[in-house]
Amino acid sequence: MRSISLVFRRIAKSLLFVSALSFGVNANAQDAAAPAGDAAAGAAIFKQKCTSCHAISRQVVGPALKGINEKYDEAWLIKWIKNSQALVAAGDPAAVKVFNEYNKTVMTPFPELSDDDVRNILAYVAKEESAPAAAPGAAGATGEEGGTAAKGDEVSNFMLGGLILVVIIALLVILVLNRVVKTLDRIILQKQGLLVEGEDQEESAAVRFRRLAKNKKFVFFVIILLVALFGSLGWKAMWNTGVHQGYQPEQPIKYSHQLHAGTLKIDCQYCHFNAYKSKNAAIPSLNVCMNCHSYVTASDKYNGETSPEIAKIYKALDYDPATKQYGDNPKPIQWVRIHNLPDLAYFNHSQHVTVAGIACQECHGPIQTMPEVYQYSPLTMKWCINCHRTREVNSKGNAYYDKVLAVHDQLKKGEKVTPAVLGGLECGKCHY
Amino acid sequence: MKQVLLKYCTTKGNMLVMNKLRILGVAFVAVAASAVISSCGGKQTPGLEFARNMYDPIAPNYDTPNKNFANGQTAQLPPANTTPIGYDKHEEYPNTIEGYLAASAGMKNPLVRDISNLEQGKTLYLHMCGHCHGPQGKGDGEIVKQEKFPPPPSYSTGNSSRGGAMKDLTDGKIFHTITYGLNLMGPHRSQLSPDERWKIVMYVHELQKIQ
Repeated sequence: MRSISLVFRRIAKSLLFVSALSFGVNANAQDAAAPAGDAAAGAAIFKQKCTSCHAISRQVVGPALKGINEKYDEAWLIKWIKNSQALVAAGDPAAVKVFNEYNKTVMTPFPELSDDDVRNILAYVAKEESAPAAAPGAAGATGEEGGTAAKGDEVSNFMLGGLILVVIIALLVILVLNRVVKTLDRIILQKQGLLVEGEDQEESAAVRFRRLAKNKKFVFFVIILLVALFGSLGWKAMWNTGVHQGYQPEQPIKYSHQLHAGTLKIDCQYCHFNAYKSKNAAIPSLNVCMNCHSYVTASDKYNGETSPEIAKIYKALDYDPATKQYGDNPKPIQWVRIHNLPDLAYFNHSQHVTVAGIACQECHGPIQTMPEVYQYSPLTMKWCINCHRTREVNSKGNAYYDKVLAVHDQLKKGEKVTPAVLGGLECGKCHY
Repeated sequence: MKQVLLKYCTTKGNMLVMNKLRILGVAFVAVAASAVISSCGGKQTPGLEFARNMYDPIAPNYDTPNKNFANGQTAQLPPANTTPIGYDKHEEYPNTIEGYLAASAGMKNPLVRDISNLEQGKTLYLHMCGHCHGPQGKGDGEIVKQEKFPPPPSYSTGNSSRGGAMKDLTDGKIFHTITYGLNLMGPHRSQLSPDERWKIVMYVHELQKIQ
């Protein structure tokens, strides 16, 4: 048995380059046929059963698997993988040692694996450990096409620019025509011999400016231009005072909603888990990040190092990824709040998310395409009111609206609606 | 005379061209400058504001800095040995294998199994668990499919790393696992109130039955 596996391992090692090249094809074809003892079949089982606790070259929940083929013999490994607790209970010294080393964490028994399955896994481990360190797996999430956030504002800017351009061109045309008229005048005068040639050739800039300032048409157009420019700028500025639409401050961590919500399709409410039950949607605390990022370090994109942005989480939590221990000096990440509703207005997320059933994107825009979040909606009173005027109340299965609708039915039927029906007998109405 | 006229005309022409260029240049610079100013300035700052003090709340928000506390935050942990209403009671079942088994023996779902609770459980499950465990609990959620995270065992066919089949997990075991996490799964008690966890437990029992 052992010699067979050795042969397989040797073959696996010698065919390393070929297999590394054809790995992608093998991985796709592995469902169809699984020849005994080969690494590709092992890869399929490994990904399905082992990766939740093991990685080849780093400790996850259980130990790194690099070098297990050298450390233990195959018969022992087969017994261990199929039922580690039986080995521990039987008092096998190697088994007890590993069990104690990993804080008595029990390894899931896999009685459904055959001996050949286990050999396939071991062949895969042997192949992977001798492969060059960072074999980048599936090409990273490059994200969906960065959505073109069409902002209605840009249209009006474009139109404004166009108008200014037209005015400038008109001014230029007038100036040129003025010149032409003058030149022709001169030529006529000269022909009549009234003008001595070269009379005012050398006029200084000051003189020219003074002449220009006396030109009523020119002055008129300059004034019109300035009035239009400052008028439109001022108008825009006044309308946009206190409107933070498009506000996109730099955040302490370059967290990408495009990656997490767009590519990975993690539900908004996994992290913003207060949106459906509270006034605030909540900026998630770092323990929510750590639910995934205790494992995900994106090291394949950073030459085996933890991504610098994920390292910021570890630093803030005083967490040591090597020992997986938290220190006692955590500091909160100071995110910059983007949506600042004035204190004079009350807004409640749960009312809109749970009761009305409005999708996050209706107010926050195409969040799943934003690498960096900006304020999509103006959050002006007009914006709120326009929606409240047009949207239908979602009264289905909601006891609160049942009562309101019942009162309206009573009114329609011409029945008497007393203050008591509207809660006029609540103690707090008088004794508040 | 002719020569002089020609000379005059050409110099005049040159001047016209020069003026045109200058005016065009000035216009271009003006348009470019206004474009640069209007596009850059806006993103990093919230823009013009009037009466900022009407925006800032007098009472601090949970996420604003606060000088009154030693650690400078408004959000504080509850005092020791207190339990906010609707949160976890004092830890009866610790995060150990003994606590896990005790939870299995001692805990029962306090909620009534009905359509409303199951539907809420489903919604919560899809929001909080589905991206790893998959919409049907088969361990094939979206981020598992994309190989960004290792697959968890299937509720219906997999085995638990703490012994037994996943489809035989009891109320208390599932509740304990959601609360404290296990292996690569993180603890979710800060995100889910006990009631919400029980709704998810109820729905997971349905997923265990899928063949």
